[in-house]
Amino acid sequence: MSEPLIQLRDVSRIYDLGRVQVAALQGVDLAVQQGEFLAIVGPSGSGKSTLMNIVGCLDRPTAGSYVLDGTDVAELDDDGLARLRSRTIGFVFQSYNLLPRTSALENVATPLLYQGVSRKDRLARARAALERLGLGDRVNHIPTELSGGQQQRVAIARALVTEPALLLADEPTGNLDSTSGADVMAILRELNGAGRTIVMITHDNQVASAAGRQVHVLDGRLVA
Amino acid sequence: MRATELIRLALSRLGSSRLRAALTMLGVIIGVASVVSLVAVGQGATSGITKQLQGLGTNLLTVNPGASTNGFTRGAAGSAGTLTVEDAAALGALNGVAAVEPEISTSQLVVAGSQNTTTTILGTTGGYTTVRNFSIWQGSTLNGIAVDAGLRVAVLGATTADDLGLTARSIGSTITIGGQPFQVVGILQAKGSTGPVSQDDQILVPYTTVQDKFVPGDKVRSVGISVASADQIDLVKAEIATLLESRHGIAAGGTDDFTIADQAQLLTTVSGVSDLLTLLLAGIASISLVVGGIGIMNIMLVSVRERTREIGIRKAIGARGRDILAQFLVEALVLSVLGGIFGIVLGIAVSYLIGTLAGWGFVFNPITPLVAVLFSLAVGVVFGVWPARQAARLDPIVALRYE
Repeated sequence: MSEPLIQLRDVSRIYDLGRVQVAALQGVDLAVQQGEFLAIVGPSGSGKSTLMNIVGCLDRPTAGSYVLDGTDVAELDDDGLARLRSRTIGFVFQSYNLLPRTSALENVATPLLYQGVSRKDRLARARAALERLGLGDRVNHIPTELSGGQQQRVAIARALVTEPALLLADEPTGNLDSTSGADVMAILRELNGAGRTIVMITHDNQVASAAGRQVHVLDGRLVA
Repeated sequence: MRATELIRLALSRLGSSRLRAALTMLGVIIGVASVVSLVAVGQGATSGITKQLQGLGTNLLTVNPGASTNGFTRGAAGSAGTLTVEDAAALGALNGVAAVEPEISTSQLVVAGSQNTTTTILGTTGGYTTVRNFSIWQGSTLNGIAVDAGLRVAVLGATTADDLGLTARSIGSTITIGGQPFQVVGILQAKGSTGPVSQDDQILVPYTTVQDKFVPGDKVRSVGISVASADQIDLVKAEIATLLESRHGIAAGGTDDFTIADQAQLLTTVSGVSDLLTLLLAGIASISLVVGGIGIMNIMLVSVRERTREIGIRKAIGARGRDILAQFLVEALVLSVLGGIFGIVLGIAVSYLIGTLAGWGFVFNPITPLVAVLFSLAVGVVFGVWPARQAARLDPIVALRYE
């Protein structure tokens, strides 16, 4: 069996609040294989957001090791983390997090800006990504001119435009009505079917059931 | 990230909040415009004053008698009466002297027809117009024959002629000066006033006539000398001193009974003072540029706060700290440089207007806008770096959660 894409070993994240230390994660072991669709499920406050920040290289574990796509995250500085995010991870957030007052096309093209891709190539690839998600006629719309479902599809296009090894979705359906939510889940399943590795974070067991595998987080620990 | 990408990003950002961008730039615009226009005004004033001083006479040296000493009391400069018309004649023979003119002055009542005025009667020679840089409007200047013979002829200053109701057709008419009839032979071109005493309100007559009719003796008030070329001024000054010392029997190292005033020296002093004033004005104006810079810093700090979430998003999708730093820094730079360019245009317009109104013309110095742009660039860097660093240092997790 090949090396897993994500390998967390005994990962802890402790917040030092001065007088007290809060352990948001304790001794987490997790491996995600290439092509998997994993749902990390847990109620709010369980530590799943902390886990997602660490998996997404926005944060470093205080103890334990995390290897993403063959790179040991602990060895990287902030710039190294940024480069790893840029190259390896596509983010989809609950609240879309599109750049305001910026067209769908420019939004989707922005990750490529930080990879040093030329403007012409950026726009061509962004347009292609939007077309793949059925938004070919919405490229010049700014976020406020799009519905929630459309905004989330723009966000997915932005996450995919760099062809990342990992798609990291944080409550991707949390702000959507049930129809749009189902659409988004269908898109994620379809992407997974095409071989994309997806890690999704949710508190919703029904949403989680769409994933190939589920792990549950409670009080900073993984439970079976 | 390439500079063009950063500038494009900055321009599109500023374009989406035009009013704010314009108001922020206004500080820099006013700062740069005031630096540019005040420096131009200062330089315009300098060149105006220089031109007026040059109008008094080119390469002019004025020899005045020294102060009289009565017991222990030293009189005013020129009170000694040690300078004579013979001294003036001897000075005229020196090498490098282009023209020389003795001056004896008196004040007399002048009557022409039903008009009268009291003005300065200057006894001199035809050299006066050369040395003092006057030109003749009508008629002619005093000629050698009139001076040698002590004829009663008069050349009138423009203001005096005007006061007496004399025109171009009055050449050849007779006026009375101090009760004596004089023939008007010429009227001078007006020069405009420099200072409280108008050079246009006087009457030139042969010095011999003044000695004969009004001021007996051979003492002169001063001697004006025009030096042939500027680089000979120091040489001629030394020659004058040597000649007068020997004529007056003053031993080397003794106290001279005359003084030599140098127009060039005065010019240097005056333009030095006025350059200093220009610098002072620029200094004061640059304070407003600093205030403009603080305006940029203020708005950039607000902008970083407002766009915290955007910064988080950008970081999550791959921006490094230095990308964010560059983005905000370039935004501040674009604001300051655009402000600088508008400021230069405004400053040039204002200095053109002031120069035209003040009458010294428009002095354009290409150094000033260059310095102003570099200065506004520096303002952008200095006041943009701190907000940009704040932005670059934001933790992406915190920034993403920021509402």
